[in-house]
Amino acid sequence: MALGLGLMLAGLLAWAAFVRNPVVPAWSWNFLFGREGEGDHLVGRVYTIRDESGQVVSQVSRRVTVGDEIFAADGRHYRVVKVRGEEAVARFLGMDEDLLAYRDFYRQLAIPAAKAPAPAQPVGIYHTHSDESYVPSDGSESIPFKGGIYRVGERMVGKLTEKGLRVEYDRTPHDPHDDNAYYRSRRTAVRLMQANPLALFDVHRDGVVDPGYYRRIVSQQNVAQTRLVVGRENPRMQANLDFAKRLMSYANSVHNPIVKEIFLAAGNYNQDLMPTALLIEAGTHTNSREEAERGIALLADAVPAVLGITGPAPPGAPKPITDRTAKTPGSYKALAWLLALTLLGGGAFLLVSAGSWERARQRLGRFFGQELGGLPVLRRLRMKGKLEVREKATVPGRGDPAENREARERLEEIRRD
Amino acid sequence: MTGFPVGITALVIVTLLIFIGLAHRALDRMRLSDRGALAVIVAMIIGSFIDLPVPGARYPVTVNVGGGLIPLGLAVYLLVKAGTARERARALAGAAVTALAVYVVGSLIMRGLPEPGGRYEVLDALWLYPLVGGVVGYLAGRSRRGAFVSATLGLLAMDIGYYLWLLARGAPAGRVAIGGAGAFDAIVLAGILAVLLAEVVGEVRERLQGGPAVRGRPEPLLRALRKPDLGKGGDEE
Repeated sequence: MALGLGLMLAGLLAWAAFVRNPVVPAWSWNFLFGREGEGDHLVGRVYTIRDESGQVVSQVSRRVTVGDEIFAADGRHYRVVKVRGEEAVARFLGMDEDLLAYRDFYRQLAIPAAKAPAPAQPVGIYHTHSDESYVPSDGSESIPFKGGIYRVGERMVGKLTEKGLRVEYDRTPHDPHDDNAYYRSRRTAVRLMQANPLALFDVHRDGVVDPGYYRRIVSQQNVAQTRLVVGRENPRMQANLDFAKRLMSYANSVHNPIVKEIFLAAGNYNQDLMPTALLIEAGTHTNSREEAERGIALLADAVPAVLGITGPAPPGAPKPITDRTAKTPGSYKALAWLLALTLLGGGAFLLVSAGSWERARQRLGRFFGQELGGLPVLRRLRMKGKLEVREKATVPGRGDPAENREARERLEEIRRD
Repeated sequence: MTGFPVGITALVIVTLLIFIGLAHRALDRMRLSDRGALAVIVAMIIGSFIDLPVPGARYPVTVNVGGGLIPLGLAVYLLVKAGTARERARALAGAAVTALAVYVVGSLIMRGLPEPGGRYEVLDALWLYPLVGGVVGYLAGRSRRGAFVSATLGLLAMDIGYYLWLLARGAPAGRVAIGGAGAFDAIVLAGILAVLLAEVVGEVRERLQGGPAVRGRPEPLLRALRKPDLGKGGDEE
């Protein structure tokens, strides 16, 4: 029966996918193992996010969900509150204080002239969606295993190297282009982490249809702008967001507006691995690859300063992320969230499994008695009678200790099953 | 990860401690003693740095000791130790269903042009695996061990399927690094979180129905369940 239920679940999921997509390809084994599984040329839908007065805030090629957030380049902060069809409404939450502060600091800051010695730690770059390409230059939006995105990545590597950084560039393809690609690229990201990198960049291109959405003249060049994506399904999201804000603020202070926005999307994107892991969208598939290459080169130009490679920050400027005394409010927020969730989840589970406050309290007391009772300090305290630990194995009139112990062992054995 | 500010370093350390704590709690429940569970975690962390190449493959295939060999070995150990052939068959069927469900959702539904996670992306693949593994494992046998086996072997099946896909496509390049992310690989996360999920579902269900089901259960179990003070002095937590 259980197997049947499982299969039914899988069947339902498959059915939901096909019903929601009105153009269904004819069934063939190719669907499982062939080219059709690599990209989806049928979908080019774009979600438009407007504020409550109807002004366009952003366009995204992914499904927008309530709770997604946008930090615009000028510091405006929005949260999606309603989604109907391909139109979403975002509420203006005010100007983001961190972004405004960073922007003010960086405006006063000249690009540091002193070049610090090259750091021992590299920057890691990889592509989760290794087929991504640019239609005007590459002829297709998807070229399996060797997309135009590699040329964009190479350009970023070139610029960072030119600026004195060491770069670990992993060219492993993670095709096909799907969400499971992150399962495969997670291994690449960890392989890069073995070199103890300062930051990890997963370079993508977007799927918004309108090329004008990203096309701008920045620093006298025709470029495709970039978008930074931070995953919300990441326990350490606030720390990654902090890094994204620094990067956007500084990059836009030297090449305005090379970063269009920060988008907080559903997903993890391997960003739980490092607080300085980011996903970059370099233009969209309808931009030319050359535009995207010029865009990412301008972004890369700003990376060393944010990572503290260009020497110590002048007085008054925010310290780079690699400075041990830098303020990282996002990290503390993430820490607080993590601890609160752990305590809340653990507490709720304890309460459910114990059945009542009183029993939960007893269990907790017993747990600390056993786990911490072994510590010499606590043992001494207990010896002095200052710490009461419930150790009675029997209750008057309820069988003998040996029987209890036997039953307990039996129960423990069963529990392990 | 050296050279970062105090906030980031503290965050990393606390996350690690919580992860290890959860892992210990999960492993503790699977025919492992307290110390055994801790030894497995230590071995996984050390093993994270060791990749074993699989010889003779057309594309590079490696098995990471901490992220692949140990969790998969544990899954096989649990299978071997399973009480009945029926239980074994259920766990294996659970793994097959998990692999299929994960493939359908992660590769068929969440793919395509929409960036960055494909269309209909609601839940990242990383969190989808334990969810599917935990639910399937629970349905397949209402067992934590079943959840662990479903999640870990299901993902191994995905990796084998990926290698076959690379062969079938004649890919110019590709790599299958089984458990390549070490202790942070999706195989490990899925196994541990699936066990915890099965445990939470089981406890909530038991609480909702007003206590453990007693009909048809063996007498020693029922006798043990009736004892009100069994946990005292034991290692229940």
